[in-house]
Amino acid sequence: MLQETISRPARLSFIKINPTVALLVAFALTCLLFGAFAPTFFSLDNVITIAGTLAVVGISAIGMTMILITGGVDLSVGSVAALTGVTTSLLWPSVLPIWLAAGVGLLAGLLVGLFNGLVITRLRINPLITTLATYSAVRGLAFVISGSQDNQLGDPGFQFLGRGNLLGIPFSLILMLVLYLLFYFVLRHTRFGRNLFAIGGSPDAARLAGINIRWHLLVAYGLCGLLSALSGLVSASQLAAGRPQAAFGLEFAVIAAVVLGGTSLAGGKGNLLGTLIGVVLLRTLDNGLIQLNVSSFYQDVARGVVLLLTVGIDQLRLKLEKARQK
Amino acid sequence: MFKARAFKTLMAVALITGASMLSIAPRGAVVYAQGSCATAKDRYKIGFANLTDSVDFTKAVEASMKSAAAKTGKIDLVVANNNLDGATALNNAENFVVQGVDGVVEFQTDEKFGNVIMDKFRSQTPPIPVIAIDIPMPGATFFGADNYRAGRMAGEAGGDYANKNWGGKVDYILVLELPQSGPIPAARMQGQVEGIQAKLKTPVPEANIIRLDSKNTQDVAFKVVSDALPKIPADANIIAVEINDDTAQGTAAALEAGKRTAHAIVVGQGAVESGLTEMIKPNSLYLGATAYFPERYGDKIIPAMLDLLNCKAVPPAIYVDHVFVTKNNICQVIPDSKACATLKASGAAGTAAATMSMTMRATMAATAAK
Repeated sequence: MLQETISRPARLSFIKINPTVALLVAFALTCLLFGAFAPTFFSLDNVITIAGTLAVVGISAIGMTMILITGGVDLSVGSVAALTGVTTSLLWPSVLPIWLAAGVGLLAGLLVGLFNGLVITRLRINPLITTLATYSAVRGLAFVISGSQDNQLGDPGFQFLGRGNLLGIPFSLILMLVLYLLFYFVLRHTRFGRNLFAIGGSPDAARLAGINIRWHLLVAYGLCGLLSALSGLVSASQLAAGRPQAAFGLEFAVIAAVVLGGTSLAGGKGNLLGTLIGVVLLRTLDNGLIQLNVSSFYQDVARGVVLLLTVGIDQLRLKLEKARQK
Repeated sequence: MFKARAFKTLMAVALITGASMLSIAPRGAVVYAQGSCATAKDRYKIGFANLTDSVDFTKAVEASMKSAAAKTGKIDLVVANNNLDGATALNNAENFVVQGVDGVVEFQTDEKFGNVIMDKFRSQTPPIPVIAIDIPMPGATFFGADNYRAGRMAGEAGGDYANKNWGGKVDYILVLELPQSGPIPAARMQGQVEGIQAKLKTPVPEANIIRLDSKNTQDVAFKVVSDALPKIPADANIIAVEINDDTAQGTAAALEAGKRTAHAIVVGQGAVESGLTEMIKPNSLYLGATAYFPERYGDKIIPAMLDLLNCKAVPPAIYVDHVFVTKNNICQVIPDSKACATLKASGAAGTAAATMSMTMRATMAATAAK
């Protein structure tokens, strides 16, 4: 009798798995696999290498997470990163000391972000189109102002940003984690953060609830621009140069990591912990494949397969959950 | 009857002479009669389709083409951007045909589109002569790098450095290559590796030659070299060989960030401004690069094109005179570079010239004589 009352949807309850936990399991399995076949994968040197090269994608991914939560997208992050590095390198040392020059670079990124936000909210142009336009225009601007030339950024203090260590831990990793903590708090425990979810979940409902959508989007895109600029500074610091060609393709790496982390492209859903795991997982994948001497063509395939598998499994889980609720 | 026979003989001689002249006529030129050239004119319109306009190297090529064309006083140069894309190159080629160009200089990397583009030019009447830069196209005169030779020069310089500073002991070779670009640029990587190996008493074992896809960018070079370094013992001697100056800078940055500066050097290809700047940095790991002199391409290409258009014989391939550039000879080899100006401003140029090797001086003298 008891068995007869167990309905079909109830039998499926065992497969309700927290997606962040699932991602962590995937990451652990990936590490175990690489560790089994690559002798130096778990070496301290390699762990520090991975840790020290997370920040460029990781910091930009914070901003992209917020934007995707609102149902938007920002394709200009790579171009902003390049513009920031170029701006900083042009101003130092002849015009400004290094940190002021870096500040101006950050300001440039913030302004691009705010420009994106204004165009999207005031002119009501689709975020994809808007940021595709700024992706092109800002990159072009970086080439124009630099004369297509690289400029050295040899200041040792500045290089500490991307290459320095504090007690053996890469400084860029510490910076990235502090930002993740800060924005985790903002997204989960402030009205601003909750409103971003509401806007992404249902803009109409958000409007009816009295949320100032324009203002929230403007701030979100501004912050995304600022964070992309900070990524650009870290990249310029690692390479010791401001380059107009820097960070080509950064936007796609960032979106891949954010979506892998469980943030929905449709908006209304996302979490920074998932984003962080996504960033670390993709970087670890790249590193592990190089440790194994796998051809770069297979590396590209692997990245695509991992992304498809993870997102696909998540979609399957959602379907099964909906079926269970029925 | 005698007149008829004489006339037939005369016709036969004329036919044989004409056939002979056609068989030795320069590629792309049609000779209608002895002493005349169908493509010869007082003023020419030449199309130049550049690979891209966003890279130091190609910008220098473009500038040199414009300068050389202007110097002749009889060339209208039409410049197009192939945008690193075969389909765009084809569109540009069609555009050139519509504009009625007399000759074309093509700089594009897509082999499949290259065949189609060449067919467009060759099917015109008269056929439009083409000079292909760096990547051969069937039926075009080739101008560009002797990739293997250029690579070999850099590799040998790296091997010489190892012999002088590391007792000839090289433990690892990092090869920052671009596998998707095909066999032509691959020749410069082969040349670099073989150049190093040829100089060493004990060549580096194949297992210690680590090949990495640089994707032609500094950022990726930085990342992949960073990832490879944990596999290499901390005190191992490393020579990194590069596809170009960009990847060389990324590699040098990764070696610096990985604290491998005491046991590593980088050799590369291009010697463009950004690479020269990297070379003259204090404690730079970038030993040097083989110069391709993109700023002199026009000086050789434009005269070759004029020869083609005037039905003069042109060899099927014209190569760049490569020189391996280090901080010691920048001002002799590329005197109008910003790096040379920086060296002169710091007073280092004179010292560098004084320490330039006799071999290098001889090489430069031979190049200048050509």
